[in-house]
Amino acid sequence: MSANHSNDTYQHLYEGDQSKLYSGIMSHHHDVKSPEAKAQVKRIWGIFWFLLVITVVEVIMGMKFSHLMPRGIANFIFLALTLVKAGYIVKVFMHLGDEFRGFITTVLIPLVLFVWFIIAFLADGAFWLRMNNESQARHNSAVQEVSHEQ
Amino acid sequence: MSQTTVVTAAPEPKLWAGGRSPYNVSYGKMMTWFFLLSDALTFGAFLISYGTTRFFSAVWPDANQVFKSFPFMGEHDMPLVFVSLMTFILIMSSVTMVLAVHAGHYGDKKNVAKWLLWTIIGGICFLACQAWEWTHLHGECGGLWGSFTDLSTSPVESFRHFFSEKSVKFVDAQPLVAMQSTHNFFNYFFTITGFHGGHVTSGVIFNILILVNTVNGVYQRRGHYEMVEKVGLYWHFVDLVWVFVFTCFYLL
Repeated sequence: MSANHSNDTYQHLYEGDQSKLYSGIMSHHHDVKSPEAKAQVKRIWGIFWFLLVITVVEVIMGMKFSHLMPRGIANFIFLALTLVKAGYIVKVFMHLGDEFRGFITTVLIPLVLFVWFIIAFLADGAFWLRMNNESQARHNSAVQEVSHEQ
Repeated sequence: MSQTTVVTAAPEPKLWAGGRSPYNVSYGKMMTWFFLLSDALTFGAFLISYGTTRFFSAVWPDANQVFKSFPFMGEHDMPLVFVSLMTFILIMSSVTMVLAVHAGHYGDKKNVAKWLLWTIIGGICFLACQAWEWTHLHGECGGLWGSFTDLSTSPVESFRHFFSEKSVKFVDAQPLVAMQSTHNFFNYFFTITGFHGGHVTSGVIFNILILVNTVNGVYQRRGHYEMVEKVGLYWHFVDLVWVFVFTCFYLL
């Protein structure tokens, strides 16, 4: 009976305004006062406090303690804390954690390229420093070796 | 055969057979994510080139020495306090944005507008803070980009104080190298925070437009607040970039 009619519920939505499928109409959010809604709000504020605490820890470390520990350790801690913050912002605030697993992969895989990018360019920078020092020494033996002071 | 009034729902097309989104995400949202990826690569390129320059510099200005002023506190030594305030403001505005998106999921127009407004205010406060920071540093450098190019116009005393105790000896021994590092530092600082500030500005403008649409009931009529989600993604991206910029310039 409806074989000759185009589908009224899903098909035209796929071809037209797709956001209706995934946002308001097809999702089942109804009551903003429901326990689930309130729990979600609580979770959001919880993550906020978490981010704030991590930032305060980072700043205090940067102000007071980073000069007292080896540079590499301090940098590692800062980067680790930053990645944790970034992870929570992406997962909870940007709702990537709520998406289909395939979509999460689609978004995160290109970011893995950054690992290669960072290692390659920082290695290049360190090499250039050494190269500049040694070239200078080759031309002028009286020049003192410039050490990498950070 | 009699016509019934019940519309028969056809089965949803199979996941990868075409005609549907295999990830259950709308085109607009997916493309927003892809745009954010491209923008992330842009900022990543800036920050990594900053890192490379730093790695091939024998000496580099110390963040605790460069960023120790605070508005209305005169010459007080408060390293990193102002930038912490800026980070707090931006994280706060991110939270209000999530709350706006959350309200949008429930079609709660009043709260969407309320939280969007707070997000916009947070963004404007952040921009005001950044403007103060730039103005203050402009005073210290005698310019924005392109300063510290010549030892005769910017002698050692004009940039010596940017370096830590450990590095000052080297600065005095090799002022030209230290001057070049200072020049590079401020070039990168103004470029990267400038690009970021530009993104915050455009984010604030988008938020204002979406707020106007919300108040006018555009999304109520449409039946969903996905547009709020999309500008929310952009706003969170801006916050994310700040988290990384903050780490690279002020901490590492």
